[in-house]
Amino acid sequence: MSGYKETATHESCFRPGSTLCAGCMEAIAFQSVGRVTDNGVKTIFTIGTSCAEVSSLAFPNVVAWGRGEAPPDDFSRSFAILHNVFESAPTLAEAVRDVADVLTDHGALSAPIQVISASGDGGALAIGLRSLLHTIHRRTRVTVIVLVNEIFANTGFQYSPATTPFASTSTTPSGAASSGNPAPPLDYLHLAIAAGAGLVAQLSPAHGKLFQKTMEKALACETTAVVFVPSPCITGWKFEDGETMQIATLGARCGVFPAFVWERGKGGAVKDCPREAHERPPVEGFLGTQRRFNHLVRRDPAGNGYQVRDGSEADVDQFRAWTQSNVERLYALAELR
Amino acid sequence: MSTIERPLLPLPHETTPSGELYGSAIDLARVRAAHVELCTERETVTVDGNTAAALATLQMWRCVLFAGFPITPSTKWIETVAARIADEPRSRKRVKLLEAEHAVADYLVGAAAACRDLVFPTATSSVGLDHMTETTRSLGASGLGNVMLIDVYRATANFPLCIEGDPSDTLAHRDDGFIQICARGKQQIYDTILQAPCVGMHADVLTPTMPGFYGIKDSHRSARLIQEPDREIHAFQDEWMRPCPLPGLINGDTALGNCVTSKHFQGFKLSQRRRLENALRVLPAVGASFERRFGRPGLAFFDETGWPEKGGVDIAVVGMGPDFGTFETLRESYQAYAGLRVAGIAMRLLTPFPSEAVRRRLAQARVVLVVNQAHHQGRGHLTLDVVDALSTLPDPPRVVPAFAGLGGADVSEATWERMLEEARAVRDGGAVAPAAFYHEGRAL
Repeated sequence: MSGYKETATHESCFRPGSTLCAGCMEAIAFQSVGRVTDNGVKTIFTIGTSCAEVSSLAFPNVVAWGRGEAPPDDFSRSFAILHNVFESAPTLAEAVRDVADVLTDHGALSAPIQVISASGDGGALAIGLRSLLHTIHRRTRVTVIVLVNEIFANTGFQYSPATTPFASTSTTPSGAASSGNPAPPLDYLHLAIAAGAGLVAQLSPAHGKLFQKTMEKALACETTAVVFVPSPCITGWKFEDGETMQIATLGARCGVFPAFVWERGKGGAVKDCPREAHERPPVEGFLGTQRRFNHLVRRDPAGNGYQVRDGSEADVDQFRAWTQSNVERLYALAELR
Repeated sequence: MSTIERPLLPLPHETTPSGELYGSAIDLARVRAAHVELCTERETVTVDGNTAAALATLQMWRCVLFAGFPITPSTKWIETVAARIADEPRSRKRVKLLEAEHAVADYLVGAAAACRDLVFPTATSSVGLDHMTETTRSLGASGLGNVMLIDVYRATANFPLCIEGDPSDTLAHRDDGFIQICARGKQQIYDTILQAPCVGMHADVLTPTMPGFYGIKDSHRSARLIQEPDREIHAFQDEWMRPCPLPGLINGDTALGNCVTSKHFQGFKLSQRRRLENALRVLPAVGASFERRFGRPGLAFFDETGWPEKGGVDIAVVGMGPDFGTFETLRESYQAYAGLRVAGIAMRLLTPFPSEAVRRRLAQARVVLVVNQAHHQGRGHLTLDVVDALSTLPDPPRVVPAFAGLGGADVSEATWERMLEEARAVRDGGAVAPAAFYHEGRAL
């Protein structure tokens, strides 16, 4: 494995030119993953329709992918990307993997190939849950990245199965008769483990070294590695650019989406998020950073962070309870082998 | 700037309109050499249609990965392929059973994009094809002519469910962008599948193909078939299938499946249409080449029966599929009975519809009877295409639309005679009635 500093000098396959929002976690994740894939192995990405796709592959805009200023003479640094419909990315990746393996088996391909699938949580966990789970179930040797911004951002910030409880989305709006999204998110980490993944993680570049190390492990995994990347969405979560990493860090630490890495046969660990609630940052601090939770908390007029709005005490208590159960759930998952 | 140190893998590369192509990254000769022959000498076998289709795909050295999902009546294709591969320890070909037809279509996109010089076949039917639709429409526009989707025709829609073969599935997918070719009889099924990718992968076409045949009537009933030796098939296909001029994911530095702004969408669709229309030029050439090599008729726009060398006919029949054979057997007797000249064409190329050839063939008919075997809200899919083809004639023949054989029902001799009588009445000056349903010799 490469060192963190050394990898930082690698050339990413995600290049300038995307029209993603400035500071979007998806762009940061692609930059990070893109550097890790500069490892001497030819890289092929498959991508389902998503913010990331329409913002990086829209002709005649710049295609924000590729390694280097010109097509490399070194084949191992060449890069290819394939887009198809929302739910398709894992299946596309599986097909590419199979073709590469069959060609290798025939002696027709000598260069190694690494295949990475990228989807949003809408593409992977709603319309594409079938595709995701069956690609995992077939133990396909690909790395699956799911960029979890908890909404269908590309179509206007609708609820997704990964939406945090009480979040206001365009289809679960908060209002006089609603406290936002009423349901806890799908337990996608457990689903991926149960389906047979070799590595499952929930991790963003906010945990930079761990993210890089985990991506390196994912690329080396002999079966399917699935990395769910919590992806604060500037427009959908309603915060200011420049706050992305802070919110990603806070969300992980306070238990909304704890950093989690699990490997089959070895078990896993929750990172940077204590099991006991009093050892974690208070959730109000996380809720207050995003206007999607504006109906629950407000800025303390005295300047001491955020406070629960009058009338929302029960909802915030429920949110705390859900957060605790979320953390407990991940500690329990970490025990699985 | 990368500072990583590792062995380099320098490969020559060339620039194409779709990115950089590393032509030597994949050594296709090794794939060809690894093919285990299925048939070494020309022989006659008795098989059903699904088996004929399976044999054709198994004999191609370019088919190394077979994706599928079972649906009646196409299932035996993947079963046959799987059984043959399981029985041949030297084979490196693989079968991939996916979890749904949609997954199969997505898989074909990924596989065909990964290596554009291999052929990736599957078979499906009815609602299976419908389930693929989101991606078949992408495939049709993709330029991936190395995808071959074999449609074993079955009535589509599940209210009511009917597992027998009418072509409402393939005809509902006329706008998917595939080259759709109808085959009838085991030999034509086998021969069509051997030729279809030669058309689709032609550099001027680059459009996926959808050869098809009638479920149950052709998929499940057996007949004799001349099976050609693999080496002859390879020689024929190699003549037509040149290395793809565009990069794939494995041998390229490229991006496929980009989205575009509406300004540029026009150009993409125009290009798609032109590539599809080029099939009208390439398909007869492939068919002629096939006939020269194997001595049997190759791909054509349609089969013909009863056309005089000179002069016109009173009634021309337009149909498709195995029921056209019933018309062929009674044509002469009906001709004698009615004192009319009767001829017909059985459509082979459904999309792109060969309008010019159809117009030339039907221009000398007084009445054209179009027999549609698929549900349609109007006068029938074939009827609309035929009417459109004839529309530029100064004095076009009158067109009599009819529906028969829906849900795979046999179009009996009595039904054919009843429809011909309807056409005869129009020929004698009667009015063209709205499209009627015919069954068991009666108008319903």
